[in-house]
Order: sequence, then C-alpha cells, then structure tokens
Amino acid sequence: MPAAEPIVSINEVTKDYHLGKVVVPALRGVSLEVHPGEFISIAGPSGSGKTTLLNLIGCVDTATSGVVKVAGQDTKLLSERRLTDLRLNTIGFIFQSFNLVSVLSVFQNVEFPLLLQKKLNTQQRRDRVMQLLEQVGLAGHAKHRPNELSGGQRQRVAVARALVSQPQIVLADEPTANLDSVTGQQIIDLMKAMNRERGTTFIFSTHDTKVMTHANAVVRLKDGKILDRVTPAEAGMALASGAEAH
Amino acid sequence: MSTLKLLLQVAFRNLFKSWVNLIIGGIIFFATFLVVTGGALLDSVDSSMSRSIIGSIAGHIQVYSDKSKEELALFGGMSGEADVAAIDSFTPIKAALEKNPNVQTVVPMGTNGALITSGNTVDLTLARLRELYRKNSTEGETPERRTQIDSLKAHVRHLAELLEAEKETRKQLIRDQEQDPSEVAALAKARSEEFWAGFEKDPFGSLEFLENDLAPQVADGDLLFIRYVGTDLDAFQKSFDRMRIIDGQAVPQGKRGMLLSKYFYEEFLKLKTARRMDLIKEALDTKQKTIAADPLLTRYVKENSTQTREIVYQLDPFKSKQAVARLQDLLGSKETDLSKLVSEFLAVNDQNFETRYKQFYEQLVPLLDLYRLKMGDTLTITAFSRTGYVQSVNVPVYGTYQFSGLEKSPLAGATNLMDMVSFRELYGYLTDEKKEEIAQLKSKSGAAEVKRENAEDALFGEAAPSSLVADATPGLINENDQIGTNSAALRSEDLLKRVYAQKEIEAGMVLSAAIILKDPEQLEATLAELQNNQELKDLKLRVVSWQKAAGLIGQFVLMMRMVLWGIIVILFVVVLAVINNAVMMATLQRVKEVGTMRAIGAQRSFILSMVMLETVVLGLVFGGLGAGAGSALIHWLGNVGIPAGSEELYFFFSGPRLLPTLSASNLIVAFFLVVGVSLFSTFYPAFLATRVSPITAMQTDE
Repeated sequence: MPAAEPIVSINEVTKDYHLGKVVVPALRGVSLEVHPGEFISIAGPSGSGKTTLLNLIGCVDTATSGVVKVAGQDTKLLSERRLTDLRLNTIGFIFQSFNLVSVLSVFQNVEFPLLLQKKLNTQQRRDRVMQLLEQVGLAGHAKHRPNELSGGQRQRVAVARALVSQPQIVLADEPTANLDSVTGQQIIDLMKAMNRERGTTFIFSTHDTKVMTHANAVVRLKDGKILDRVTPAEAGMALASGAEAH
Repeated sequence: MSTLKLLLQVAFRNLFKSWVNLIIGGIIFFATFLVVTGGALLDSVDSSMSRSIIGSIAGHIQVYSDKSKEELALFGGMSGEADVAAIDSFTPIKAALEKNPNVQTVVPMGTNGALITSGNTVDLTLARLRELYRKNSTEGETPERRTQIDSLKAHVRHLAELLEAEKETRKQLIRDQEQDPSEVAALAKARSEEFWAGFEKDPFGSLEFLENDLAPQVADGDLLFIRYVGTDLDAFQKSFDRMRIIDGQAVPQGKRGMLLSKYFYEEFLKLKTARRMDLIKEALDTKQKTIAADPLLTRYVKENSTQTREIVYQLDPFKSKQAVARLQDLLGSKETDLSKLVSEFLAVNDQNFETRYKQFYEQLVPLLDLYRLKMGDTLTITAFSRTGYVQSVNVPVYGTYQFSGLEKSPLAGATNLMDMVSFRELYGYLTDEKKEEIAQLKSKSGAAEVKRENAEDALFGEAAPSSLVADATPGLINENDQIGTNSAALRSEDLLKRVYAQKEIEAGMVLSAAIILKDPEQLEATLAELQNNQELKDLKLRVVSWQKAAGLIGQFVLMMRMVLWGIIVILFVVVLAVINNAVMMATLQRVKEVGTMRAIGAQRSFILSMVMLETVVLGLVFGGLGAGAGSALIHWLGNVGIPAGSEELYFFFSGPRLLPTLSASNLIVAFFLVVGVSLFSTFYPAFLATRVSPITAMQTDE
C-alpha cells in the first residue's frame, strides 16, 4: 500500500515482564507498521503477546527495547504527562469488559474524554456526543446508567467514547469476547462502519476467526513473535487447520 | 469549570454507593454537631459566666501586689483564701489606673474569711437581759423594762427546765457516760428557787454565773464561716450595677457596716426549720417534686419533726403557752407537750404541706425570731489577722443584698460585703487613729517595752513594773498591744457612729482593686496597656483579667473547653482513621475505573482531585447536616433556654436559664475542621490512586 507515513511503527521491540526473579519475555523482537485507515486484527492464542502489543501501541506501557512510534512520536522519549496527552488526543480505547464509569450516565461517559481535552464548549460537546450516540444507536439512552444497559449496548457506548475525541487510532482489546456472537458481530460492524466513514485506524485483538474476517489484514502472533501478516481469508484457513490439528 | 462539575457529580454519586461512606458520614455528622453545639454552649456559658464574675465582684480587670505568693482567687482557691500580699495604699493605684482612658472606675477590695459564733439561745437571751439591766442601772427602771426582764427571766428558767429534762433523757440512753459534776451542780443551782429569789440582789453576778456555767451546756449555737469582701461600699454599689439591696438599707456613706448576701442570710442565719420549710416549698412548686418520692425532702421533713428544740428553746413560758394553744387548735389535739405538738405539726406530707406551710408562717413564726440576726444588729467578727493574732471587730449589719440573676447561686451568694475600715482592722492593719490610741494607752499605763531577751528579768525580777506588754515579734504590727486592753475600745459605739472621709477609705491598705471599663469590648487591649504601664510596674502591681482573678472558677470554662476538644479530637482521629481506611478500600475497588480514566487520558492530578473531592464532598454534606442540626438545636435552645438544674449552675448561666447563641466562629471552625480532616485523611489513598497504572484498564476481570 502506497500510503504515506505509517501511523504506528514498531521496530524490533521486545518486552519483558518480571515475575519475582523470573523474567518472562512477552514480546521477542516485533516489527510492525500500521498505516492510517487500516482495520487490522491482531490474532493469536492467549499468552502470545496480543495485549502487550496493544499496550505498547496504546502508550500505556513502554517497550524494554526497540522503538515504538505512535503518530510519529517515539513513546520512550515522552514523559508520563505527554504520554497521557498522546492517549487523550490520538488514541481511543475499547476494552473487553467495557470499562464504563458506573456512576456516570451514558452521555457523561461519552463526554468524559472531551471534558479532559477542554477544547470544546458545552454546546459543541453536546452536539458531538449526541451525534455519536445516534451513530451507535443509543441516542435514546443518553440518560441511562451503564448498569441499565445490555452488554452490547455498553460496548456501543464504549465505541462512542473511543471515537468522541476524533482519535487517529482506536485500539480494541478483545472487544467481542464478553458478548454473544450476534452482538459481537454488530460491534464489529459498527467499528467497520466508523472505519469507513471516518477513516479512523482500528487495531483490535481477537482470537475469534469470524471476527477476523472483517479486517483488512490479520497480524498473527505466537510466543511473542509475529508469524505473518496475512489476509483474513488466509488467517481463517490457517486457524481452522490449526484447530483441526488439535 | 465543566471538569469541576463532572468531578462534583462523580463525587456526589459515589457518596451513597458504599455503606462505609454512611458510617463515615455519621461520625462526621456527630463530630460537627458536637463542634457546633458544644462550642456554642461553651461560648454562651463563657459569656454568661463572665457576666456573673464581672458583674459580681471581679470587674473586668483586677490588680494586686506583685509580691503575692499566690495568684489572686476572688472566689477562693483549692485551700482557702489565696495568699495575696497587701498593698499599702490604694490612693496611688487609683490615680495611676484612672489615667487610662478606658478605665471607668477603680474599686478597692480585700477578701477574707472568719468564723462567727451566732451564740446559742441561752446566750442570746442572757445578752438581752444584761442589756436591760445595764439600761436600768444607767437610766433607771421603767415598768416596761421590768415586764421584759421578768419575761426573759422566766424564759431562762424555762430553758434550764428543758435542759434538765433533756439531760435526764440522755442519761437513760447513755448509761455509762458520766456527767460532769460541776455541770450537774450548776444546772441544779439554776433550777433552784433560792437562786432566782436572790437574782435581783446581784443581777450582773447572777448573769455572769448563767453565762459561764449554764450557757455552755446548751449546744445549739453555731460556728459559722463567713466570707467577706472589704470594699468601698459606695463605689462598689455604683460600679456593680447588678447589685440590689433586698432587706434593710445600704450602709450610709463613710460608715462602718456590712451588707450580708441574701443567700448567706437565708441559708445560714434563718431559723433552720423555716429554711427547710422554704426549701420544701420551692422544690414542690418549681421542680414538681413530691415529699414522698424525693429522699432529700423526706429528710427535711424528718429533721423538722425531730429537731424541735430550736423552736421550743426560743419560746418563753408565756409564748410557749400561746404556741401550745395554737398548735392544739390547728391539729385538733389534746396534747400538752409543746415539743410533741411541734413535732406532729411539722411531720408534713404532700397532702397537707400547703396548709401547714401557711399555718407555720401565720401562727408559729410570729412567736419566734425568724433570723438569728436582724437588720441593725451588730455582728462580732473574730478573725485571725495576718500576724496570727485573733482580732475582733464589731460591724453593724445594715442590710442584705443580691446580684440580680444570681439570687440562687451559692457562689455569688457566698460573699458578704464589709466596709474597708473594718476589713483593714480584721486583717491586722492599723489605722492612724488606732496607732495613736495605742500610743496614748501605753503612756497612760506606763507600759515599758520589754525585749524578748529581757522578758524573764522583767517578769520575775525584783523591780517588776506595774503592768507589762511584751513585744514578742519586733518589727511586725504590734497587735499584742490591742488584746484585752483595747478590744473594748474597738467595740465602742463611738467607732460605729464615726463617718470616715472618702480620703481615709482610699488611703489605706487593700488586697486588690477591681477595674470597671468604659468599653468592655476593649478588654484585651486595655489589659495589655495596663500590663505594660511603667507606673504600675513601679508600684509592683500585677494586672490580670477577670478570668484569671476568679481563680479556679475562671478556669472552669477553659477546662470544659479542653474536655470538649479532647472528645472532638478523639472523634476526628477516629474519623481520620476510618476515612483513610475506607478511601483506601474504595480506591482498591475502583482501580479498574481509575485505570480506565488514566488510559483514556486523565492526568494524575485529575485522579487526585477526584478522590480528594469525594471525601471533601462527603465531609461537607454530612458536616453540613451536622452543623445544620447543631445550629437548629442551639437556635431552639436559644428560644426555650436551658434551665439551671442545680443552684451551682445559676452562676455559670448568669441566671435561671441559659439562652445559648450561635456565633459564626463556631460554624467557621466546624467547616475548616471537617474540610481539613477530610483532605488530610484522603491524601495518602488519593496519592496511591494516582499511581494506578493505565494498564489495569486492559486487564480482564477473569
């Protein structure tokens, strides 16, 4: 793809976790480039390093070695404050267990990043939030609390929250794992639609082959290394055969 | 702005999420309630007590000698009167103090205590007899005086009769107790016909026998402790405007005299039976008590019906007959023994008390002396002077007084007022006239000064002088001189008639001086000015506020405040610990939420403010409720008033009811305390919350 600068560029990155005196390598030399507008799935069995990779891209963690560049910035060189700002303005997060603030309403949960940004006035925030809630089909639930919603509805709120600040990248860690397959499908459709309409880059991890089929590309991880970067069709085949092997 | 709104919203919504918050809230509520009500009540007690102390004897500021060994304690200290050094003259002090523009008046003062013997019934009757005989011998006998003498003589004979009957009873009860043969003989003599037949031949000799040998056998005399403040009575009355004369009149300007406190007069000088009847009536009328249910009242009734001697001894044979007749009539009884009748009459109960009380005052009291001392009587006060000698001074009692609002306070009522001149004499301070008198007497009697080392020679040597006055302690005020020879002079009526000039009253010794200020609001400033005044320093004076001058009483509010604050501090320490723990737990529970916020882009400062604000909101909500409840209570009490349950409280409440008021300072203190404690207790958990890594948001619950 002849796209200009990659939005995420990872070069020979390793990440070790320390469990007591034992060093557990989570990533062992990973290189990856993600270009704007991509809809990428990171696949692999649990423990393969999917979440670690997303953490590094999401600037919530830093690499042991190697370079992670997000929106052109080397995350290792940024202060904690700057990293937080980068997360706020460049990245949106969708979590496996939704992670909504339970005491806030749907509207307030979505508005939250805008309040942190302090860029828009009340009316602008309102318009932006309501527009997104309409897009995710929850405009009628703006005043509800998260515990009044179903799992799928909650995750749609999370999608709206991730997109409200108009980030360049949205990271989703197993966004469908806590949902039934139909609802999960709806969430992926929603994400796909946002990717199409807004051109936002989506990187999501999953171990569900059905989910993978919606991606432009599937990056397959195993034991902290990238196996390959394939098309969803190839990935589905590979995983299916892998499943058969068991 | 919107962020703050969001934070507040988060805070408010989290408030009722956890039951732990309700417990914390409850404690904060209680602690704030305590700060507000306790503070307001103590402030109110403080200000009413200050009114009591300032308005009774202390004034706003007191000055006393800097040479004093102890601190001034106007209401008495732990061990009697405080050891305060005398100030030689009041005049220069007054002059120095009055230079301060805020000083309105300066009143000289001295506090002391003495024992007075009220004398028993026999003593009093004999004294009256002696007075009549004395008048007879100087002015000649009148038929009127003769009747009085006969009546009194009959009374004494009656008393001897009663005494003998009483001794007989006692002998039966206590067999082994030997009776003093001289007492038995004296009583027999007083009962004999011969003695009374020969009485008129030597009335004074006969009286002396009765005074010396019969009177001591009657044990109904009381030794009373009397506390008095010597002062310029005129200035005192003008300066302390809560003072009211109740019985009698004010002491005429410049004269010697006393004003007894009404409380003291009622409590100690009234006929005990009557006093007890009054107390019962008051308890029944105002405190809704019953004789049957209240042990104190039951005791009073029992004492009244058993201790009839006080009444029986007072009545001479004629009055006794009247009393018997009246009581027989009232009780419908045929009993002839007065003592039994009185006993029966005074054995009151809840049903008949009202009538008996009325009958007591209408029928019995007119036959009796209701008070042991009447207005216009002279009180002989015997005090130990500063040098250890006994000094007696006669002071006429002009009236009784009380401070309005403090009528029932034993504290304010414990102080009797005396003129400055008599006070100085009792204190052992020589007036110029007395010094001169002593000098004259000495020269007249040809007394020679004898030093201790020569005393033996002088006493037992061959050339003994005609009379001897030993100067035992050279250098001190020589009160030795006054004993015996001069006490008669001191008691002479001339002295009581003398009018002392204002200059004379002020020129002498005082123990302290009370200062009344023009503007009491400026007390602190004026106090500081006076304390730094060089002239007062040169005069070796100590300047203290009313609070310090009042001694232990003045410290009462301070002590109460310390107790209150002790409780509040403990409460808030508990609050601190509980909040700390609870917020810690809450933070741990919310790690995921905090991590999510951090991942989404919330800075650490945001998390810090969020957690802190939550506790502050908690504190403000429950603290506000507590303060509101406290204010409401104080407001309500301010309208209704807190009744002074016991008489001691009258002094602290400055009247029968305390009307507490709420000042802004109480609320401000409560506000800062609550906010401060909330912030302080949350700081560490909040700090921990900021350390939550955004990675936690990515972790799954499983």
